[in-house]
Amino acid sequence: MLMRAKLSGTDVRTGGIALHKLQKRYGSAMAVDDVSLSISPGEFISLLGPSGSGKTTTLMMIAGFELPDSGQVLLDGNDITHLPPHRRELGVIFQNYALFPHMTVAENVAYPLRMRRMAKPEVETRVRRVLDQVHLGALASRRPHQMSGGQQQRVAIARALVFDPPVLLLDEPLGALDKKLREHLRGEIKTLHKEVGKTMIYVTHDQDEALAMSDRVAVMHEGRIRQVSAPEDIYRRPADLFVAGFVGEVNFIPAKLLSGIAYGPAGEKLPAAPWPDADRDATVCVRPEHLRLHAKASAAEGVQGHIVGRTFIGDATILEFRADSGLQLTSKVLNISVETTPQIGAACVASWAATDATILTE
Amino acid sequence: MADAMSSMAINGRSEPLQASALGPTRWAWLLLPGSIFLVVLFIVPLVGLLLLSLGMPDWTLANFIRIGNNPAYLAVLRTTLEISVSVTALAFVLGYPIAYALTTGGSALRTFLLIAVVLPYFTSVLARTFAWVVLLGRNGVINSILLELGWTSQPITMLYNRFGVILGMTHIVMPLMILPMYTVMSSIDQRLLRAARANGASPLAAFLTVFLPLSLPGLIAGVLLVFIYCLGFYITPALMGGLSDLTITMEISSQVVDQLNWSFGSALSMVLLVAVLTVLWIGSRFFPVEQLLGFSDAKSGSDTITRRQVGTQWLMRVGAAANVLDRWLPSMGGQGVPALASILAVLLLLPVLIVAYLSLSASSYFVFPLPGYSLRNYQAYLSDTLWLRATFTSIRVALMAAGMATVLGSMLAFGLSRGRIPGRGAIVALVLSPIIMPTVVVAVATYFLLVRVGLQGTEFGLALGHAVHAIPYVVVIVVANLRDLNPTYERAARSLGAGPVATFRTIIAPLVMPALVVAGFFAFLASFDDVVYVLFLGIGKITTLPMRMWEGIRQDINPTIAAVATLQMLFAGIVIMIGAMLGQRKENT
Repeated sequence: MLMRAKLSGTDVRTGGIALHKLQKRYGSAMAVDDVSLSISPGEFISLLGPSGSGKTTTLMMIAGFELPDSGQVLLDGNDITHLPPHRRELGVIFQNYALFPHMTVAENVAYPLRMRRMAKPEVETRVRRVLDQVHLGALASRRPHQMSGGQQQRVAIARALVFDPPVLLLDEPLGALDKKLREHLRGEIKTLHKEVGKTMIYVTHDQDEALAMSDRVAVMHEGRIRQVSAPEDIYRRPADLFVAGFVGEVNFIPAKLLSGIAYGPAGEKLPAAPWPDADRDATVCVRPEHLRLHAKASAAEGVQGHIVGRTFIGDATILEFRADSGLQLTSKVLNISVETTPQIGAACVASWAATDATILTE
Repeated sequence: MADAMSSMAINGRSEPLQASALGPTRWAWLLLPGSIFLVVLFIVPLVGLLLLSLGMPDWTLANFIRIGNNPAYLAVLRTTLEISVSVTALAFVLGYPIAYALTTGGSALRTFLLIAVVLPYFTSVLARTFAWVVLLGRNGVINSILLELGWTSQPITMLYNRFGVILGMTHIVMPLMILPMYTVMSSIDQRLLRAARANGASPLAAFLTVFLPLSLPGLIAGVLLVFIYCLGFYITPALMGGLSDLTITMEISSQVVDQLNWSFGSALSMVLLVAVLTVLWIGSRFFPVEQLLGFSDAKSGSDTITRRQVGTQWLMRVGAAANVLDRWLPSMGGQGVPALASILAVLLLLPVLIVAYLSLSASSYFVFPLPGYSLRNYQAYLSDTLWLRATFTSIRVALMAAGMATVLGSMLAFGLSRGRIPGRGAIVALVLSPIIMPTVVVAVATYFLLVRVGLQGTEFGLALGHAVHAIPYVVVIVVANLRDLNPTYERAARSLGAGPVATFRTIIAPLVMPALVVAGFFAFLASFDDVVYVLFLGIGKITTLPMRMWEGIRQDINPTIAAVATLQMLFAGIVIMIGAMLGQRKENT
């Protein structure tokens, strides 16, 4: 409602974002390379990638702090590529929060409303409401440096929400917090998303965060989007070796595809779905929790070798396996029963269900 | 290199000093020699000055009453105040854009601006004043250009009047204004500006509501430092001012040197001293004074920001108003400030460069533009026994002063960084005072002391004065370096079997040595460039290089001075380069 009319074009602001062939070059390096992405109103999408993958640059182009060399950013169908950041009406939550140190919590939260010349009584009502929403009503007169990291994070969220933008951009908002708090706030942000129903674009390098919170995850690498899918798809059906390796742990087994069947480095037959296309080299990817190690007697189809390492990590045991071909594989066995896992030196066959293997060809 | 230069120029960063948490009190013994030195050669003379002004042993306020009753002296005070206020205001207006661009600009712009600020800063005040005399004189560069272009039919009087003094002084104090502002500005998180923009603030509104209030401590520091410096400024007003521009420092000098009226000169000095201390006291309510001088300590910088209760409500109103303006303001694509800053920086460098240009003249008179290039001015300098003798005198005095200052200063720095003793704040104040007190006052006071022990007019006496003046620089540089010296290195060495001596020899000494070398160079430079102490302590018997330049500028402006000034600037430039390189090497390893 507030100031929405100022944005030209249609008044309907539902928060749909479309990126069209965005490109950004720093010197000779391609920071963002041909990124196109369509985000539906109300969707929670993560841009996941290692540092330097272009995810933050992409976010900053949406926020208006970076100009793309080419391509467009559309908000509800309107081209906002060249609109200055303060006229975009997008909420941004910055890494390290960027709370103004010379203002109190209430003043920080009031800032966007004051910049929009909202009447004072209305500002106060809104600030109080949003601070209550993030459970900080009692701390309104504190200054940022008098608060814990988690509290500062909540102030940052309140400040971005208070002017009711249709879209929230979050730039690694939990990066500076410790593990426990991070997991807690992850849940809070997720709940908040359900409550307010805003589009959220979340930049992170933490795969757990991306998988746990998102409707869809866009995995980025070297400026390009490698895969956009629901978290389960990303994990179960990675589109390429990078995605498979970056999201979760994985065993890469070099393989040859001959007449639809996958063969391992020692010529053994690997469990995998039948390959419909022509013969070629490939990689068979198996997650450690899918890799089973059987005593040699059981003549399962798989890779022959023996156990070389065994690490107990509480809920699971990690087994290091060396195939006779020299290949190293990892298996993760949940410690559900008291059933003993194989000891170091034991000869084993490593195998898995054909449906759990992904064949990647690049 | 840019960063190394800036951190040498002023070390206002404010990380907590970890060492103080574990420092054994034994370190505190290192404070003793330097403190005694400063008490004897700085505190005692100032107390003596106070007693003298009160007519000791016959206590009287007659001197002060005379200042208050005589319109001539009141006029002097007013002139001093007028000049100081104008120069401070002008330097602030011109300095802010440079400091701003220095913080927010691209790396090429930042390096250029930093050179433009730091190079003049380390060029002697005398050389820079000389540049302005040459530029503004009747037959000076500017008049030559104006006449050549036909914009004026006869030379305009720009020198020996208020205009000239203000212009010259402003140029000289610019680095003092810019560096504290830059230090504070560069500690502002740039993401805050982005946050403001994302929350609906236009560029101007973001600047007004976020950047400006957060840079306020730097502005106060710069304004304070410059104002204090102007109050006690002697060289430039004396060389560039007219008869009606008599400032308090010139009056002090005239009373002490010409009229030998010591007690009245002391009273005037006291007035100046009290004025400076008052300004400092007011300033310290806004900003920790020791940080102003580049001495950063355990105190966190953010406290000083939050201690300031900025009227945020008022700020937001201003910001909202600026937001409305946004639609009508012409957009310069963000190039307005960098362009302005670059122009100002060129103006900052220009006088220095013009002196270098004129030094290459083939003529024995100042002619602009040069009739031809030659090294005759340099030959004149090198073949003149008086110039050479003055140079060697300067080197001897500077070596003595730098030696004393480096040894005592680094001991003080170690003691302050590692020692824990009560009254530490008082020692910090004592150590830093010599650079903030007006040089003329300290020189006069030292002169009275040296006379009592018969050291006036001796090179050793002069070196003692210079050492007092140089110790603060040494302490600031070494303390900044020790702050980076992580005590865990020493603990690691101890755990690996090194004894205390071996630890010092293998860990501390190699890591601190570059800082000691740089500190020594700056102490040398501080002595080598000084003329005020020489005027009082030398009693006409000692002629150092700056002293000869001083006399030259007052009597006949001859191009040999341009050659000497250029050599001085080159020397300062080399010192900065060495400092920057040593700083860089440390960062790389």
